[in-house]
Amino acid sequence: MTTTFKESRRDFLVKSAAVTGGLVLGIRMPGLAQAAGDATEVTHWVVIQPDDTVVIRIARSELGQGSFTGLSQLVAEELECDWNKVRPEYADVNEHVRRDRIWKDMLTGGSRSIRDSQEYLRKAGASAREMLVAAAAQQWGVPASQCTVSKSVITHSASGRSTTFGKVASAASMLDMPENPKLKDKKDWKLIGTSPARFDVPDKSTGKQVYAADVRLPGTVYASIVQCPVFGGKLVSYDEAKVRSMRGVKRVVAGEDWVAVVADNWWRANQAVKALPVQWDEAGNGDVSSDSIMQFLRTGIDAKDVPVARKDGDVDRAFAGAAKVIEAEYHSGYLNHATMEPQCATALFKDDRLDVWVGTQNGEATITAASETVGVPLENVYVHKTHAGGGFGRRGPHQEYTRQAVTIAKEMPGTPVCLQWSREEDIRHGRYRPVTLVKLRGALDKDGNWIGWHARQADQSIIVTVRPAMIENGIDPINTRSFRDNPYKVANFTNEYAMRNPHVPPGFWRAVAHTNNPFYRECFIDELAHAAGKDPYQFRRPLLQGTKDLAVLDAVAKAVNWNSRPARGVHRGIAVVDSYGSYTAAAVELSVEGGSVIDVKRVIVAIDCGNVAHADAVNGQIESGVIWGLSAIMHEDITIKDGRVEQSNFHDYPVLRLAETPTIESIVMPSGDFWGGVGEPPIGAVIPAIGNAIFSATGKRIRSMPLKHHGFSYKT
Amino acid sequence: MRLDIGRRRALQALAAGACLLAVRPASAASAELDPVLREVFGGREIREGRVTLELPRLAESGNVVPVTVSVDSPMTPQDHVKSIHLFAGKNPQPRVLDTQLGPHNGVARVSSRIRIAQSQQILAVAVMSDDSAWSAAVDVVVTITGCGD
Repeated sequence: MTTTFKESRRDFLVKSAAVTGGLVLGIRMPGLAQAAGDATEVTHWVVIQPDDTVVIRIARSELGQGSFTGLSQLVAEELECDWNKVRPEYADVNEHVRRDRIWKDMLTGGSRSIRDSQEYLRKAGASAREMLVAAAAQQWGVPASQCTVSKSVITHSASGRSTTFGKVASAASMLDMPENPKLKDKKDWKLIGTSPARFDVPDKSTGKQVYAADVRLPGTVYASIVQCPVFGGKLVSYDEAKVRSMRGVKRVVAGEDWVAVVADNWWRANQAVKALPVQWDEAGNGDVSSDSIMQFLRTGIDAKDVPVARKDGDVDRAFAGAAKVIEAEYHSGYLNHATMEPQCATALFKDDRLDVWVGTQNGEATITAASETVGVPLENVYVHKTHAGGGFGRRGPHQEYTRQAVTIAKEMPGTPVCLQWSREEDIRHGRYRPVTLVKLRGALDKDGNWIGWHARQADQSIIVTVRPAMIENGIDPINTRSFRDNPYKVANFTNEYAMRNPHVPPGFWRAVAHTNNPFYRECFIDELAHAAGKDPYQFRRPLLQGTKDLAVLDAVAKAVNWNSRPARGVHRGIAVVDSYGSYTAAAVELSVEGGSVIDVKRVIVAIDCGNVAHADAVNGQIESGVIWGLSAIMHEDITIKDGRVEQSNFHDYPVLRLAETPTIESIVMPSGDFWGGVGEPPIGAVIPAIGNAIFSATGKRIRSMPLKHHGFSYKT
Repeated sequence: MRLDIGRRRALQALAAGACLLAVRPASAASAELDPVLREVFGGREIREGRVTLELPRLAESGNVVPVTVSVDSPMTPQDHVKSIHLFAGKNPQPRVLDTQLGPHNGVARVSSRIRIAQSQQILAVAVMSDDSAWSAAVDVVVTITGCGD
């Protein structure tokens, strides 16, 4: 079955590449509408074919989150086109650069695709509609204001005339684009907030979807790579003669800290690269371990003076006058994105032109990395985006697989090179969710009121590796989120931050600091509630008065029926967090069998994301966020020994299985006056809710992830 | 500023490639730069024009960005460029480059590589032998970024 399937898919690609007359321009991606030759670009966002097909250009990437559909809805709502004839396609990255970044930001991360582009995309639809109507009105010699539009049909009822978008597109394209078209009142939205069938789902469900790993050009050769196992190390030497005569081997190409073997198929390339004798310089990092990293973080907890991220009131006085002081340390380790599709890129260098086929979260980052690596000017670099087989932050800022592929391709001009990382390389050379250690102290007065809070963080900065200018006074603005910007009204609060950067490369792992900081904060607040002898939900409520956080917290409490007793043996946990411009809360019900087997029965997540583009995609993001969080808190842990990652594949880096996945209920409650993200926010709330429910069930306070290190497993 | 010929040629070649991308003149220097410009040029008027600033519009990390500034000048003893300056208002050190030139340079052009901390407008200013100051600016996007909230 699998073999047949792969063969037919490969045949399809080879044929389609042949049909389009060459390997350079022509891969026709199933599921993507390629604007035909007689299509008209009405505006840079909207292309209309004579048969009324509307091609909407998408600048962001489809990673499975539904951006192709949601972003199209924003344009189509104002365009008033026939939704059944809408086809999204990627905005061409090369053209984007040549046309002065005409499609704006291409970054697909930070839960930003919808919220950052919703306004200009709605305007894009409205502008194109106004141009199409004006063109029709001109042809008829009537005022545009007398024309109406519905489902791609423009009508002038007074004279009984009508036409379609396809017929006036060419004339419309000659008109100036209105810069400030009138947008619809929200109450008139027909498409935004609904759930039309997703564009990306059918091809993914039937196996037609072409990912970067499926791209096949005539004459492609395959590369497998090994990278210096110790981070920061360099390549010293390798013995090419040992593999040169192996079957199918064509070339060995090396970079600063990697070496790749190119062969006529990937298996042979991988066999050869594994057999290749390589010497590395470990750059003095060969004795780093998870323990030594932990000791390094501890220096940040123990340091006398560290930068202060926020200071309210007088914490010292609050603690001096406290009836009770609670103190706890929380920590968690490195995590790998473990995208279903390991990193992969195909590159072709020919006649000073560079083509790259890759799944990326940022077309601009890819074209720039490719251009800078081999010194080909940006306007001669062509990035062909494929849908990514999972992104989660792995395929955005860090484009090393692109750099490696173009480096190899430049050594073999005229030959397409497909660089495919093995799963082992992917696990061992990630950009890891960084390590954190937090010491929290809370002060309660004699009535159990929370009067003082001290949070000292010691952790590794991602931002310092990519945008050091964002670091002010030694404080990482992202890593301090959930503490420095927490919504709780506690009069005396100090947040201190000590940056400690081990040699392991850090990266933006879906939800970033909101994968750990909310766990620490929300579990610690439960500790305070317990010490105060108060209900954890009621303990939070007065401290959240007047916030949008309170509404989502109340919503999950109501849904789980918090004020009633749960069924016998069932225990509850609750948590709230705001992140990425949205407000989320989670309530869970679970039981713990035999003190160690956790049966998660229900997870309820409420989100206020302001507005909703595609309703079912929001549910989907809640479900996938819950799965992501449940996986992290139980299973995932990257450990370091001898300067390198100990794990290598899913046997020792497991992720959540279907049988472990609970019932997930979502409450989407957009309050309307803003646009927040949805791809990441649910994660922050579900993790502490689980931690708090485990305490309720067992009396055991979990202060580090993953749970497997505390003897727990999920019931299957 | 001294660059050996080979390196300069390489940089010029790179910059020549990059210059196909539209170079947008700045209408005005950004607010961050006001104090720096006052420090370097006093109250002198800085006009747009005569200066060409070549930079790639996109830079991956911003760590090593090739840049070339050239000025429309005959470079004679009577009429030449005295100095060329580069500013990046959002860099921790906004005053990126100061160079002194004279008629002996033959051509009013400098090339280097600069670090750009984040997406911003880069400003080039040239001071002529008649003490007039001319400028050009380019918006550069640093593409490295991520999922940080």
